[in-house]
Amino acid sequence: MILQTDTLSLTLQGNKLLHDITLDVRPGEVLGVIGPNGVGKSTLLRVMAGLLRPETGRVLLDGQDLFSMPPDQRGRHLAYLPQDAPAAIGMSVRDVVTLGRLPHRRTASAEQDMAAVQQALNAVGMSAFSNRSCVSLSGGERARVLLARALAVQAPLLLADEPVAALDPAQALTVMELFNRYAAQGQAVAVVLHDLALAARFCTRIAVLSEGALVSIGTPSDVLTDALFAEVYGVAVRRCGEVAVPWSLVSRNRVL
Amino acid sequence: MSRYALTVAVLGVLVLTLAIVSLAAGPAGIGVLQGLSDMLHGRETIAATIIGQIRLPRMILALLVGGTLGLSGAALQGLVRNPLADPGVLGISGCGALGAVLVFYTGVSAVWAPALPLAALSGVGLATLLLLALTRGGTLVLVLAGAALGSMSAALLALTLNLVPSPYASYEIMHWLMGSLSRASLHDVLIALPGLLIGSAFLLGTGRSLDALTLGEDVAHTMGFSLRAVQWRVVIGTALAVGSGVAVAGGIGFIGLVMPHLLRPFVGARPSRLLLPSVLGGAALLLAADLFVRLPVSGTELQLGVVTSLIGTPVFFWQVWRLRGRPV
Repeated sequence: MILQTDTLSLTLQGNKLLHDITLDVRPGEVLGVIGPNGVGKSTLLRVMAGLLRPETGRVLLDGQDLFSMPPDQRGRHLAYLPQDAPAAIGMSVRDVVTLGRLPHRRTASAEQDMAAVQQALNAVGMSAFSNRSCVSLSGGERARVLLARALAVQAPLLLADEPVAALDPAQALTVMELFNRYAAQGQAVAVVLHDLALAARFCTRIAVLSEGALVSIGTPSDVLTDALFAEVYGVAVRRCGEVAVPWSLVSRNRVL
Repeated sequence: MSRYALTVAVLGVLVLTLAIVSLAAGPAGIGVLQGLSDMLHGRETIAATIIGQIRLPRMILALLVGGTLGLSGAALQGLVRNPLADPGVLGISGCGALGAVLVFYTGVSAVWAPALPLAALSGVGLATLLLLALTRGGTLVLVLAGAALGSMSAALLALTLNLVPSPYASYEIMHWLMGSLSRASLHDVLIALPGLLIGSAFLLGTGRSLDALTLGEDVAHTMGFSLRAVQWRVVIGTALAVGSGVAVAGGIGFIGLVMPHLLRPFVGARPSRLLLPSVLGGAALLLAADLFVRLPVSGTELQLGVVTSLIGTPVFFWQVWRLRGRPV
């Protein structure tokens, strides 16, 4: 399923938040959305999720207008993982992940639901915690439960807003690998990121926003140039071959 | 049998037992079965009159008013995602009582009987709408808005008391505000029944939407649930159910607050799983409280609302104790 945005513009309370954004998220790819704070990355994702109606322009899901789609159908086609998690959910881990199956309540069997929930719990490594209350989990564990909820939708399109912000390097790597595996199954992923090293490694393509406009979109090596860092982020970069960056997991067991 | 099914079954048996005891208990030593049989066959015996005119209406109203109060508490707590939500605590019942008192003592209800429940449910509906409009700011704003509504309705009720012409009338209002089913009649049942049933149907239908809302409004929306739709269902459901209950039973507080808290350890925190058990639990609690007030302790019958508040306040304190020190 392909998601396209066509000349999206949005003004809220006199502020121009998005300006003429045209891009697509294709099956099998992880599209990274990057840019400095406050340039409209989360707003763009919210428009793509159907939460904010653009002033002009359209959002198309396989050619069909997202905002005229029946809510149930839209719920099965896209899963959205917001930046801010609800403060306290007193439910068990399994109950929270099971909520991801609500869009399928009229179309899926109980067995399909259970299989999807188990698969999502396994994917984020939370099966052993499935009966624990979410209140007793750490911030990172809770973030993984909410990610599992989004995965349990088994939607062809996953939109995630800064999903690795609360995670340590090992967990962040695990989640980005998970997105790659999700995309490898033919699904499309759009993810807002601040960690450019992760974006460079794990994203198929990167879209760069600046002041509500799309300034560049392409493969990481095409997009992440010294000139772009200077223009968009206002920083000069130096490529340090010797500096250690988290690269791969030493032991998967320790993380999950 | 799952924990949920077991809880529902146990509560169901409890409600049934209490309902039978409620029919059987009373100073007149009459046979319940005989009374019911006489009543159904149209025989005008003393037993039939006592069962049909006094005990049956009282039992039905305790069951339905208690059930809907528990249900509206569970639905409101799910909607605003706040364990302190309850029609009484948030001033919703108070506004309903204000509406009812106004038509009661202006004499409108004597001319046109449906005015009483209509005024009560208008008060409840307006209060619920006002709360929803004010509470986008979270827990602190919700509790403050509830306190403001409660104070406002209390002030206006006090004003009404101040202005009523006779001391007897003000005694009547006070008595009614404390909540009671002691004078429940078949007429009260007929007045309240439609609102209680339709309101409950609205509230029971919100389970899945409330479940989705636990993940936040945005995620619920992307899963195909409209916040506005569920808000309206809860507002209309609460207005109909609580308003009708207040109209015939007066101010009975804390059942909506207490029930979900007592039941969460058994059925979990998923809002949809709390709705039906809260109905049964609320019904059982009010039936039990109504049996308790009938005990001849001091020669004076205690008021029902006083008893439920005495049960509910410790739970309220316990919640506040748990929430202390948390950022608002």
